Amino acid sequence: MSLVARHLEANGIPTVLLGCARDIVEQCGVPRFTFTDFPLGNPCGKPHDDETQRGIVGHGLDLLESARGPRTTVQTPYVWSDDESWRARYSHLGD
Amino acid sequence: MTTTQPDFDTKPDTSQRVYLSYIDRTRKFYLKQGFDNPYRWAHHNDSPFTALRKPLSESRLGLVTTAAEYNPDLGDQGPQAAYNNDAKFDRVYTRPSDSLPDLRVSHIGYDRQNARVDDLAAYFPLARLQESVAAGRIGELSPRFYAVPTLRSQRATSERDAPEILELMRADEVDVALLVAV
Repeated sequence: MSLVARHLEANGIPTVLLGCARDIVEQCGVPRFTFTDFPLGNPCGKPHDDETQRGIVGHGLDLLESARGPRTTVQTPYVWSDDESWRARYSHLGD
Repeated sequence: MTTTQPDFDTKPDTSQRVYLSYIDRTRKFYLKQGFDNPYRWAHHNDSPFTALRKPLSESRLGLVTTAAEYNPDLGDQGPQAAYNNDAKFDRVYTRPSDSLPDLRVSHIGYDRQNARVDDLAAYFPLARLQESVAAGRIGELSPRFYAVPTLRSQRATSERDAPEILELMRADEVDVALLVAV
């Protein structure tokens, strides 16, 4: 998806990308990235949490207007859970 | 994806990077599975940039997704579905953006242990964007949204799919794009 953002942007269409895989998106390099530190699968907010969803989309729309140059990342303030073990559990390898 | 699940602390080990590196984790996972040719992720030192030409409140926004239309013939695509390669689509498609489609993500490698996907709006923000139009934050939505395949071919994405999306957006006179990476 980052590659699509780059192509649109290079051809005159400003873009913002919403996502949760910070390293993948930033290594590719995109013009505007709204990052939310949630497990992969819910880049637009928690299920059935309209307020968080509005907040994330709102941050994305704000970034379209406010970015002064490429590679601008904004992290939204939302926290997935007080239990932060979801990061360690992802593709846990037993080591 | 794995069988051993020890008791994890609810707080992270701050002697290590807390942010999850999906590149590192995916690489270790595939090497451990015996694949000796890990995926090569896209890397650029530069990025293009285009400033907005008019206020967002006067702009037409195009939404881009990697989600797939539900197709009952293609196996389990429900919220509990395992990774479903059969549900992948291989060409760009568009659908009207004036109603909510039934889009699923069983074909994408998201975090099945921790994320739930029982709410379309958590990965496809069309309802939230329609609200933003009603509130005057965005001028209008493109009459169509755009879906791009997830085929693990950077060449197909860059040289075929991205140009197709651009052509569709130009035909729809899209001013700005919001893309969601599931």
